[in-house]
Amino acid sequence: MSENELLNQVAEAVLSFDENKVIEAVRIALKNGVSPIDIIEKGLTKGLRTVGDKFETGEFFLMHMVAAAEITKKAIDKILQPELSKSKTQRKALGKVVIGTVAGDIHDIGKNIVAAMLLSAGFEVYDLGKDVPAGEFVKKVREVDADVVALSALLSTTLPMQRVVIEALESSGLREKVKVIVGGAPVTKEWAEEIGADGYAENAIEAVNVLKRLLNLT
Amino acid sequence: MNGVLRGQKLRFLTKREIETIHSATLEILRTVGIKVFSDKILKIFTEAGAETNSESKIVKIPEYLIKEALKKAPKKFILYGRNPKYNIIVDNKRIYFGLGGTPTPYFLDLESGEFRRPTKKDVAEVTRLGDALENISFIMTIAGAYDVPYEVQYLHEYEAIFNNTEKPIVYPAPGAEIAQYALSMASAVAGGEDELREKPFICLYSEPPPPLMMAETDENLIEYANHGVPIALGPTSMAGSTGPVTLAGAAVVSNAQSLAALTLIQTVNPSNPVFYACWVAATDPRTGRHAYGSPEFAFSTSVINSQMARYYELPCFGFAGCPDSNFPDAQAGAEAMMMTLMNTLSGVNLMHDCGYIAGGDAGSMEMAVICNEICGIALKIAKGIEVNDKTLALDVIREVGPGGHFLSHKHTLKFLESGEIYIPKLFNRISKEAWIKAGKKQIYEVARDVVRKILKEHSPKPLSPDVQQKLREIIKNAERKKITR
Repeated sequence: MSENELLNQVAEAVLSFDENKVIEAVRIALKNGVSPIDIIEKGLTKGLRTVGDKFETGEFFLMHMVAAAEITKKAIDKILQPELSKSKTQRKALGKVVIGTVAGDIHDIGKNIVAAMLLSAGFEVYDLGKDVPAGEFVKKVREVDADVVALSALLSTTLPMQRVVIEALESSGLREKVKVIVGGAPVTKEWAEEIGADGYAENAIEAVNVLKRLLNLT
Repeated sequence: MNGVLRGQKLRFLTKREIETIHSATLEILRTVGIKVFSDKILKIFTEAGAETNSESKIVKIPEYLIKEALKKAPKKFILYGRNPKYNIIVDNKRIYFGLGGTPTPYFLDLESGEFRRPTKKDVAEVTRLGDALENISFIMTIAGAYDVPYEVQYLHEYEAIFNNTEKPIVYPAPGAEIAQYALSMASAVAGGEDELREKPFICLYSEPPPPLMMAETDENLIEYANHGVPIALGPTSMAGSTGPVTLAGAAVVSNAQSLAALTLIQTVNPSNPVFYACWVAATDPRTGRHAYGSPEFAFSTSVINSQMARYYELPCFGFAGCPDSNFPDAQAGAEAMMMTLMNTLSGVNLMHDCGYIAGGDAGSMEMAVICNEICGIALKIAKGIEVNDKTLALDVIREVGPGGHFLSHKHTLKFLESGEIYIPKLFNRISKEAWIKAGKKQIYEVARDVVRKILKEHSPKPLSPDVQQKLREIIKNAERKKITR
């Protein structure tokens, strides 16, 4: 099988939404000498892009987007990232995003959808989960040298924690290095401006556009 | 009208199916458990005899604890109005409609017709509107106090609501601290903590977060239970995101949330009044949004909810109104009627959200007035008909005979007076010629005029200056304590 065919197999496996099939296709490609970078960029990402296109046309649903993104992330984390680390090569993702739901808030469906969309768009996503203390965001930003921090909050009572994270980034001297975007039902453009966030998105698709704009990718 | 309204018993599930959902729920609570993000709540469950793990924060609740809780919860109680004529008698038959729900981040401005952030003044005005609408029996909100410091937003909303209605109030108060302030405000209005416990005129509204979790904010359940104040549960697992995509499975998740919360409440304060609920919203596959106007949400909040509640012999909390539509238009009307009629015909005891639009993202006073009419229609249908000598009117038919008319008959006039034919207050039945002549007004425009008239004319009895002062002081104290920046 040619390299192209192997990569196509990976892309097609993504469209099956079957984790085992994706992992299998990735393993076969690796075994046949395709580079991990190519598998990510020309295989998995291509599959994700097709899922995204089909979502736009209404053929696939949000659930497909999340499923494809989660499977892809697993394949990268489990198999491809270790390979990359071994060979000390770096991925050329659009950017590194640290994302999480702020402390005190355990609502994370919206955040999961945004994380999936960002991954599908080609960002490297570090999802810290929910109820994440400000210090955890800071730690991760430093550890992975992130470009963006994305903060989610659903409750009006936990909304203030978005400000707390921004302040923690400031006092750690990291604020200038990262863009901060905020989201969640009670979040508005005005709130984002008030707390000194760099961007705000009304929904997951918008979040991708906002990030691309902030990082001058468009 | 208040207190005599009866719902119906729309039934889709068999007894066996209800029991299956129930036993599946017990199994989930026993084997999977719920994750509790509050040490206080974890401790209560541990002491009650549940299997808790402080590391994983998982609480596995044995069957007997749930059965005990179900036994302790009262089947009947009263939710008091500041004015006793508005008292809500809670039993397994009576039904009541309520204005709005939790605070909405947006508000449809009455004058401009544009969305904007609501203010404390809006909370006061929508409360006054709800106080005036005849089919509205309890008050939540269709606005929010977004012009005050967010740390004390809820307290300002409580103040605006307390000052502007004599009807019973159902409202959220997330977290132990806000709950304590809200309870002291309510005590000030009631005349003391004992008076509040004796005649609670507020009810906590609480939404335990699915799937299978309890947040730190749920500590408000402990505070309200300690004060003997009723609690309305609103667990909504969203089919396809926070619950299985299949309604039966998602109902198990929501039911588990309700039974876990009920167990906590009854452990803290045995026989504390609780409204049960079991709701399942559809996750819209295209937008990921909680689909309020979905047939799935209408079905679960009415049929599943009421059938499970009747099985547990508990009163239940549900929905009227709440469209996905972003404007009080035809879609909004259709969605609101679907929800209201389904819940009414199922006999859901308290139905909230009248006046919500945009899937709960916004409030509309026009929509509240439209919902008031929809509630009236739903009630008329739920009432059914009587079949007896007087209503069969064979004498009258004989008397008028073939080819005659019934227009002027005494029987007609008498029954018209007692409401045999529903006469809409808002919806129009005029001819199209008359409608064109009157300026082709859309129903939301007619509703807008009604809102303006009510806001101009209606004002409920104010709280005493003394109590008003106390409320302001409590808020001031809270502001001093909570606002550090």
